[in-house]
Amino acid sequence: MLSRVAESLFWMSRYYERAENTARFLDVNFNLLLDLNRITPVENPNYWIALILVTSQKESFDELYPEYNARTVTDYLVFSRENPNSITSCVSLARENARSIIESISSEMWEQINHLYHFLQGTAQQAVHNDPSGFYREIKNASHLFQGITDNTFSRNEGWDFIQIGKYLERADNVARLIDVKYHMLLHETQGKKKISGESDDIIQWMAVLKSCSALEAFRKVYLSKLDPENILRFLILDRTFPRSINFSICAAEDALWRISGSSRHRYVNNADRLIGKMESELGYASIDEIMSEGLHDYLEDLEEQLVRIGEQVHLTYFAYHTPEIEPNGIEEALPFTGVGGGRAIWSQAQQQQQ
Amino acid sequence: MKRYFETYDHGPLRFFDEVFSKEGTPRPHYGKLLQRFRQFSQEDINARREIINIDFRNQGITFTVYGVDEGIERIFPFDLIPRILPAKEWEILEKGLLQRITALNEFLFDIYHTQKILKDRVVPAELILGSRHFAREFVGVNPPLGVYIHVTGSDIIRDGEGNYLVLEDNLRTPSGVSYMLQNRQALKRAFPAIFGKYKVRPIENYPQELLRTLQEIAPPGRFDPNVVLLTPGIYNSAYFEHSFLARQMGIELTEGKDLVVNNNKVYKRTTRGLERVDVIYRRVDDSFIDPLVFRPDSRLGVAGLINAYRKGNVALANAIGTGVADDKVIYSFVPKIIRYYLGEDPILQNVPTWLASNPADLKYILENLGSLVVKAANESGGYGMLVGPESTLAEQEKFAEMIVANPRNYIAQPTISLSRHPSFINDSELYGCHIDLRPYVLYGKNVTIVPGGLTRVALKRGSLVVNSSQGGGSKDTWVIDE
Repeated sequence: MLSRVAESLFWMSRYYERAENTARFLDVNFNLLLDLNRITPVENPNYWIALILVTSQKESFDELYPEYNARTVTDYLVFSRENPNSITSCVSLARENARSIIESISSEMWEQINHLYHFLQGTAQQAVHNDPSGFYREIKNASHLFQGITDNTFSRNEGWDFIQIGKYLERADNVARLIDVKYHMLLHETQGKKKISGESDDIIQWMAVLKSCSALEAFRKVYLSKLDPENILRFLILDRTFPRSINFSICAAEDALWRISGSSRHRYVNNADRLIGKMESELGYASIDEIMSEGLHDYLEDLEEQLVRIGEQVHLTYFAYHTPEIEPNGIEEALPFTGVGGGRAIWSQAQQQQQ
Repeated sequence: MKRYFETYDHGPLRFFDEVFSKEGTPRPHYGKLLQRFRQFSQEDINARREIINIDFRNQGITFTVYGVDEGIERIFPFDLIPRILPAKEWEILEKGLLQRITALNEFLFDIYHTQKILKDRVVPAELILGSRHFAREFVGVNPPLGVYIHVTGSDIIRDGEGNYLVLEDNLRTPSGVSYMLQNRQALKRAFPAIFGKYKVRPIENYPQELLRTLQEIAPPGRFDPNVVLLTPGIYNSAYFEHSFLARQMGIELTEGKDLVVNNNKVYKRTTRGLERVDVIYRRVDDSFIDPLVFRPDSRLGVAGLINAYRKGNVALANAIGTGVADDKVIYSFVPKIIRYYLGEDPILQNVPTWLASNPADLKYILENLGSLVVKAANESGGYGMLVGPESTLAEQEKFAEMIVANPRNYIAQPTISLSRHPSFINDSELYGCHIDLRPYVLYGKNVTIVPGGLTRVALKRGSLVVNSSQGGGSKDTWVIDE
């Protein structure tokens, strides 16, 4: 498979997953606000700041908007072109990547991405404010449909594995960020107490975290009614069977990486395999008590850093491939970690006339 | 209720109408089609158009317009009424194209080898040697099978009497064939019953024929050759077509940065290392294809590709330097070229052409700017063109200056009489829009011509410019056996 095609499959999948996750955060936050309205009014900017913190883009937001409220945050996370991680930007980038490899994906996959793209182009901001849940459900369903179509129309070859890697690395990263931010907020609200509380209003917030990962029902089946923060964290970080937990995501990414390279549990052939194998082992043998005593925030931050390094190694191993003696002459390397879209020679591509 | 075709205006008689004779009676091969359309209501037509538009948009069947910031992708307008060519007429076209392409290929072989035609002064040497498309580096290089023009798309028009004339030979990287294939699919979907009433020759095998042609030109000794399509990238206006053809042929779509040259061999960069490439169907122009040889600022090409090609380690379709023969000035010599190499009279005629480089012609051109169509010799896509009758005096003066400054670069033709064909404009009204025809010719071991081609239609009232970049659309084109 062409390195460029592999890279675009990876980023197509990654951006699609990112769009879905943003829709999930926003949807759940909206519901949460209604639940908590009796304690803190919906206008409380703290709830909205959290959403910006998840995406680590506070500075960029502050440059564009004067305050944190439903309208500005929704605009920034859903529509803003200035925000490279807004749902609109992610879907556009997923589509650009798909478009650059349109011959490598099934036409059904392309039609689905295209459909979502046109849906977003045709959605007015007011429509989202009128029916936020309906809008976010639309995005989530589009993503589910895309996964399903991919599952049923894409051959189980190397390309499939790159799609899986993109999806699961992104998902693990998003879940880690989501937990981290919520943890941060709840610590803050219990006035610096190191222990997270199990008070009912906090539990509602933890439930919201579960919901945004579509994990509440699955959680209940395992832990029944024991809705305490540690169980919730155990489930979201360490559960091996739930498809949106961090551990599950890492296992799935690892499987895909190993299928590509032929690595196995006791033998790795490149750094991407080594790092993901290490991470998977650590998750496999970790306990929530250890994680908490080490400090959840540090643990998650470390996890996010490791994910970045794995991404870098995937890039170096498969996308930036060339043998040392054959330097591509005068050809600039693609910018890492963007796939299609960043600073390409648009002018030069376009200026060739058509016969 | 208003019936379609009840009020169709045949327009000025100097144009040939494809569907109605000068007396206003339908031509026989359109009979069944008209009968059916007369039964349609506006709602029927709208419903069918909607199906097709959604299909096209979802599949991303779009083209890119340069210089427009917003919504740079547009759906390529598709007209619902097909154009019908009876087998008898098609046979003439087929024979004429075969003759013309054969002669043009011999011409290219000659000017890149012994240049006999120049020595015999049939074509002035300075026209060839001074052309910016003449690739000096390729003199003496033998392309596989001696073929230069593997894929061509000549533009054919009809004069007032309905005679087929060649307007342009596109010998470099002609586009549009994907629309031909998509149009057929769309039309079958929208009007299965009408389609079923005719014996329409199929065109769906074009991608297979193209792939076969490409495989045939692989360097000798390369078993199961690795064929790729080279595209300028997703921002190119024909990108949809590049990806469509790659997918239809099952070959890889590559950009310049996917390929590297080492030791005069071409490789693609894959997740498992470098893999040898044998044949490149390139949709990148000569001047962008190798920064070491042509434009050093090009990022679309592959450094070292030209040397690999000269060594015979990789085949290119089309060959380098074919543009020298589809220049609008050389065009006027094609009838002579046909007689010179084949000893035959041309089956398809040219449109009369005046060369600004010829002093007598130049005088005529400058005196008649208001009635002529002036074209820059090296432009395509409807750019760099003056349509005399539609131009202002200021535009004419500007062109006069440009022509005098660089006469070699301009030709003029009478305002061409593109034939007319009923088409929908503004979605509902039937109007006789001007059309042309671009058949696609494949040349490997043999010449293959897919029946029909792309009918382009100027979807503006009275417009003679059919290019998609200038508001043109297209029609499905049927060659029918009676």
